Amino acid sequence: MLNTIRGARIAAVQLQQIRLGHRVRGNPPIYARSLKQRIQELNYKDELYTSRIDIGFPPIKQSKEVRDHRLQHLRKIKSDKNLEKSSRNLKLEINLEDVRKEWLKTTGPFHKKQIADHYGVFEHLYGEGYFLPHLNIDALYNLKDGTFLPVCAGNVIKPTEALEAPIITYESDDNALWTLAFTSLDGHLYENEKEYLHWLVANIPGNAIEKGETLVEYLQPFPLKGTGYHRYVFVLYKQDKTIDYALPKVTSSSALQDRTFVTREWYKKHQDNITPIGLAFYQSVWDYSVRSFFHNVLNAKEPEYEYDFPAPYIRPQEWFPRRKPFNLYMDKYRDPKKINEEYLLRKLKNEDPFKRPPPPLKFPNAQQLPKSMPSWLKLHEKKIRLGWGRVNDV
Amino acid sequence: MNFIRTVPFVPQMTRLSSTANVEFVNRNPRNLERMRIARKPDGYHLEKPGRKYWHKLILTPGNRSIIAKVIHFLNGPVVEVKTSEWALQKQLYSPTDTCAYISLGKVLAQRCLEFGITEMYCDLEPQKGGKAEKFLEEVVKGGITLQEPEVYKKPNPWDQFRPEKPWEVHDE
Repeated sequence: MLNTIRGARIAAVQLQQIRLGHRVRGNPPIYARSLKQRIQELNYKDELYTSRIDIGFPPIKQSKEVRDHRLQHLRKIKSDKNLEKSSRNLKLEINLEDVRKEWLKTTGPFHKKQIADHYGVFEHLYGEGYFLPHLNIDALYNLKDGTFLPVCAGNVIKPTEALEAPIITYESDDNALWTLAFTSLDGHLYENEKEYLHWLVANIPGNAIEKGETLVEYLQPFPLKGTGYHRYVFVLYKQDKTIDYALPKVTSSSALQDRTFVTREWYKKHQDNITPIGLAFYQSVWDYSVRSFFHNVLNAKEPEYEYDFPAPYIRPQEWFPRRKPFNLYMDKYRDPKKINEEYLLRKLKNEDPFKRPPPPLKFPNAQQLPKSMPSWLKLHEKKIRLGWGRVNDV
Repeated sequence: MNFIRTVPFVPQMTRLSSTANVEFVNRNPRNLERMRIARKPDGYHLEKPGRKYWHKLILTPGNRSIIAKVIHFLNGPVVEVKTSEWALQKQLYSPTDTCAYISLGKVLAQRCLEFGITEMYCDLEPQKGGKAEKFLEEVVKGGITLQEPEVYKKPNPWDQFRPEKPWEVHDE
């Protein structure tokens, strides 16, 4: 009713909003669940299905002697006058290397497990299993300029730096046997739930990786273009006795499909004889070496991916949209390919492959458009000249 | 050699495409955050700031130790350092003085770099010349950025600007 009376007036008057009464929906605020509670309910996971099993070695308990020794050390520190003086004068500097060494022996395994959970490593390797990596693995990639790049727990390494097998060191006595498995958790080209085995060395005596049986030769990581960061994991297993894994030997010239691997199934088969004890993993992103890997080693075209964003919500089209610029409104409902084709043809008209493109104008809109041109078209031309909007999709 | 070999008709499009899957799912839970596509817990702009982050730095001073944590908005504490850890306690005179804060900053920076978390949100506003300020200085000196990148929002066709896509930036 109100609108029909005002319709007779001039368009300069703003239309008054008709406000509807507010109706209380749902529970009153005192009883309603908060957003946090609702999210918790949505993400609720039953304990029966999410309980995890420790498949590694049990944590080492500190003996009484160690605790006494530590207490004595602390008492010595407290009575040291020089240390106190340097601490008060802010001259006390701790040795980061020593801190790291002690950390690896004491709380290191727990922190590594925490960060591995954050990256979903155990979830995708063993499902419901996890282990505390008591033994520290030092995996160093040789960058040819004299330095070495360590693999810790999640640092980013480029594929160009990981072309060759890293140097692996860990503490061990000569009688023990080890297995080292290097897998990529996200890199499988065809099956999503499976991994690729990049390197498998079995029955390693003591420290020497060269003396172990290389069942699967080392392959460089190849994170696909546009897919982001892939995880690559080293797991060191301790063996009870010499094991013969019934895996066919894979060399660098055999097919990629032979390297398809599911750690969970493989571990289930051999779990009585091996226990995981060491963990190191890194992330890797696309690089030009991945392209040369696909072209030279696999003799295949390199796939390129882009993230699949959800399509923008566009309101269903109306016959008579009010207060909407008709050209922009109707462009939303046109085929985007046809629109881009128009811009492309316009761009190609002024391009000559044999001549250099002219330098961009400093004030592109200084040139006046013809007065007979309608205002919406003038605005459209000005936007193209400024390089705004669809002209960049080309 | 005396047989007719039929060549199957190969449509033109296979020349341009590869044989890999059309859809690829990357299972890495931290991938979207690294690519700046993941969503931050947003929508609390009418509340006190400090809820919109992927990783956040928290410093908890205590009576007998200081705890520095990096928490994730879903997974909770991800990197923790305490001055009561034997590794640090062994070398420090006092677990709560300024030297302890400085050492804590250095150790936290080293561990975060090792674990691949180089950018985090921080809303600590320390007093000038105080211990927490020294802690933050050491963290920044160690190579951590105390600011998270903005979420990359795909521009709609009608948007004015086309920001640079984070995954198309490659350093040579």
